[in-house]
Amino acid sequence: MKKNILIIGGGPAGLEAAASLKHSGNNIILIEKSHQLGGHLARWDRLFPDGIRAREVLDKMIASLDGVNYFTDTDIAQINILDRSYSVILSNGISVLADAVLMATGFDLFDARKKEEYGYGIYDQVITNADLEDWFRTREDSRIDHPKRIGFVHCVGSRDEKSGCRACSKVCCATAVKQACEIKAEFPDAQVYCFYMDLRMFGKHYEDLYLKAQKEYGIRFIRGRVSEVAEQIDKTLQVKAEDTLSSKPLKVTLDLLVLMSGIRPSQNLEPVRKALQLAKDDDGFINERDAVYELQKTSMPGLFVAGAVTGPKTLPDTLAEARAAALQILSYLADNDKKPAK
Amino acid sequence: MMNLLSLLLPLQDVSAEVIDRIPSGYNHFILPYFIGILFCISWLLVGLLRNLASLPAEDRKRLALSLVTPKTAWKNIRDLFCDCLFHTKIWKRKPLLGYMHSAIAFGWFMLIILGHCEVALFVPKHLSFKEGNLFYPIFYRFFVWANPEHTTLRGSLFFFLMDFFLLYVLSGIGLAMFKRIRSIALGMRHTTKPSLADRVALYALWSIFPLRLLAESFTANLSGGSFLTYSANVLLRWLFGENLYIMPWWWAYSIALGLFFFAMPFSRYMHILTEPLLILYRNAGLKIRTLNRGFGEAEIYACSSCGLCLDACPMNIQKKNLRFSSVYLIRFLRRHNQAKVDRIADKCLQCGKCAQLCPVGVNAPAMRVVQRSLSNNVIPYHYAYMQDVAAAAPASQGKVLYFAGCMTRLTPRIIKGVEKVLQTAGIDYVFADKEGGLCCGRPLMLAGRTDAARKAIEANRQMILSSGCTTLLVSCPICYKVFREEYDLPGIRIVHYTEFIQELIASGKLSMEKDGTRYVYHDPCELGRGCGIYEEPRAVLSQAGTLCHASKERDESLCCGGSLGSLTLNYKDRGKITEGALETLLAENPECIVTACPLCLKTFSEKSAVPVKDFAEVVAGHLPQASA
Repeated sequence: MKKNILIIGGGPAGLEAAASLKHSGNNIILIEKSHQLGGHLARWDRLFPDGIRAREVLDKMIASLDGVNYFTDTDIAQINILDRSYSVILSNGISVLADAVLMATGFDLFDARKKEEYGYGIYDQVITNADLEDWFRTREDSRIDHPKRIGFVHCVGSRDEKSGCRACSKVCCATAVKQACEIKAEFPDAQVYCFYMDLRMFGKHYEDLYLKAQKEYGIRFIRGRVSEVAEQIDKTLQVKAEDTLSSKPLKVTLDLLVLMSGIRPSQNLEPVRKALQLAKDDDGFINERDAVYELQKTSMPGLFVAGAVTGPKTLPDTLAEARAAALQILSYLADNDKKPAK
Repeated sequence: MMNLLSLLLPLQDVSAEVIDRIPSGYNHFILPYFIGILFCISWLLVGLLRNLASLPAEDRKRLALSLVTPKTAWKNIRDLFCDCLFHTKIWKRKPLLGYMHSAIAFGWFMLIILGHCEVALFVPKHLSFKEGNLFYPIFYRFFVWANPEHTTLRGSLFFFLMDFFLLYVLSGIGLAMFKRIRSIALGMRHTTKPSLADRVALYALWSIFPLRLLAESFTANLSGGSFLTYSANVLLRWLFGENLYIMPWWWAYSIALGLFFFAMPFSRYMHILTEPLLILYRNAGLKIRTLNRGFGEAEIYACSSCGLCLDACPMNIQKKNLRFSSVYLIRFLRRHNQAKVDRIADKCLQCGKCAQLCPVGVNAPAMRVVQRSLSNNVIPYHYAYMQDVAAAAPASQGKVLYFAGCMTRLTPRIIKGVEKVLQTAGIDYVFADKEGGLCCGRPLMLAGRTDAARKAIEANRQMILSSGCTTLLVSCPICYKVFREEYDLPGIRIVHYTEFIQELIASGKLSMEKDGTRYVYHDPCELGRGCGIYEEPRAVLSQAGTLCHASKERDESLCCGGSLGSLTLNYKDRGKITEGALETLLAENPECIVTACPLCLKTFSEKSAVPVKDFAEVVAGHLPQASA
């Protein structure tokens, strides 16, 4: 018998899971709250470590959907737990009796305005990593006009208890180094600084990227957090930091400051999480059943998770989780069939 | 019935006792009371002398001077009556609780005073000045008999007054008992856990007045009485017959008194006698220098352990943090439990609400800072770099010098707002720390790093004095408080931007355009309770839009949770405090929260669903379009 599988979220995790499930003979329904598929990936220009185009990756994913039902601009209006299924009413009026639900709801980028000392939303020349990706893609941003001195601030809203998040966002270090190289390539005579706490270059080729940034692009890495930013009359920014390697305070004038906003739990998800009685971690992400063996399962039977819904992840990790979740869903449905009905 | 009682209580016949009671003014039953009060008085006397001796000589001189200065002497008298007897501070906040306290304190006081008057008026002089005079006023109804049928008008007035005040005290005691069961009925969510000595004294205190009523009622047909005791006596005679056994009740009454006075120095009731000392010290202008000595010791023993600070403390939004309340700080200071004292001292947010609401006026936040300074002043640092700041004074002869401070520099929208307002009003100002400045010293003070704070204060003071300014404008209440209290800046007016902008509007230099936005104003601790500024910001904001009320505001306002005051409170607990404070602010569904402190602004902005704005930002947003 055909089973209904509901996938919440049309980002990389949702798309990849849908593609992995499409030949399973079940009825897949994918919903996406925004007007286009792709999630944060649709906003990105190129991907670390090798600089592949985000668009190409996304196009491949969407192409492999190939017949899966999906609804954009659709949210969950109501979700109820039944005996062996979930009754879901979508915001477009359709109701679904889902035998399995995959939460691939991703993350929110940290709202950089909350770190007011960096001046995002107050000073013109302060932008975020996402703003910069927009510019890489569209070349439309009046703030980026041949900057001569550019700074990147790592860990904005991550590893910072004061801003409500102790954890590392995992992807910003590599993103910052990637973006620093890219902007240096655009403006070869610009001086580019990265203000970091420590560089977490844990993945394959990441360390090479870091080395290349120093050797080929001449990016200057300064170990120390930015303490405050002030705007001058000519709109340039005066940035104060401490170089903790030389134990000296530091003051530089910059034309552009890029804040590496971290990964935060999706706020949109909260009503659904509450309706499903799912526990969340201290940092707000959904708890998986255990952190080693059952990463794709939750405390509720038939409810699965993949990607950044459980915490910061790189894109390859997210895709791997999506494929794993697809397999787990199929084995759950098969097991469920064998059990006698109540 | 009578036979059964006489079996149980083999006592002497009343009529046999009559003769030797009156002339001697002594009976064995007064012994428990006598021993109790003798112990209590000697204990207190030794304590008082030791405390006075531990005061620095200059403070002792100040105290002596204040006692003879008419102004402070008058204030002393007023405070002694209002605080110790009438408990006006509690009345204002919680009327029922105020009634309870003043009934016990003022009622008992009147019983003592009237008792002495009775002795002075009715006991023959040759008797009252002999050995018996000690006990006449306390056990008057036992020693002095007046046939109820032959009392004078003056006598019956006293009988009436004594009965009236006894009833008054009893009503207070009744409420106190009820409070133990259901404290919320009297307006207290949490009450303190009494210690062993507290319990002994508490139960003794509870039983003193009912026993007094019984003793006097049993005697009323012989000694005289009024509506309460005489009526009770009639009832008792109807129940137990004409020959009442009075002795057990006088013994019980005396024992209850003795027990209370004996337990008093070790219990919370010590405050009855130490509070007057604290009032004298405070009115003399003494400052806490050390704990467990001098003024600090007076504060510790003046704490009545009433627990009003429990509900006041913003940390107590989580029950587990009740243990960090001021009342427990003082309890452990009394017990010399250093580890617990340190932990409690470091946790406090220094919002000042407990001190503001304390009926006795114990300044627990100041005590915590002193405690912190004991352990934190030992870290050696170099302060040579501060001299550069002192030297880099911006020339601002006769102008307004704007000192933003560290926290404002981390919240740039405040600076934007302030500068726009100043420029619109045409104020000639100089931005003192545009290129960076030095800490005002307040956070160091709060951390108990008083030596470091003094260094920073001196460097800043030099900078401000040599700038030549006449007005020092600050936007941070944390700076404002320390500038007002610790900086010696002759000829320079120190003003917070809420006051300054209010004056600009009042004098017509600045005008605002009102819209329909519903604002709520959050009183920052350092500005409201810290400096007493409540009206100015409200006056200005009511010209920007509609001003809503918060469920807790002005001196009842809650800390935002971001305070620099706490050294050890974790972010999770702080977050809970922030959420609690936001809830009180959103009581009337405002569209925007306004505050006048960079730290409150930052803390609320991170958690609030409703936009949070700075005071100057709101003013700048409501300037007339032509000038904006």
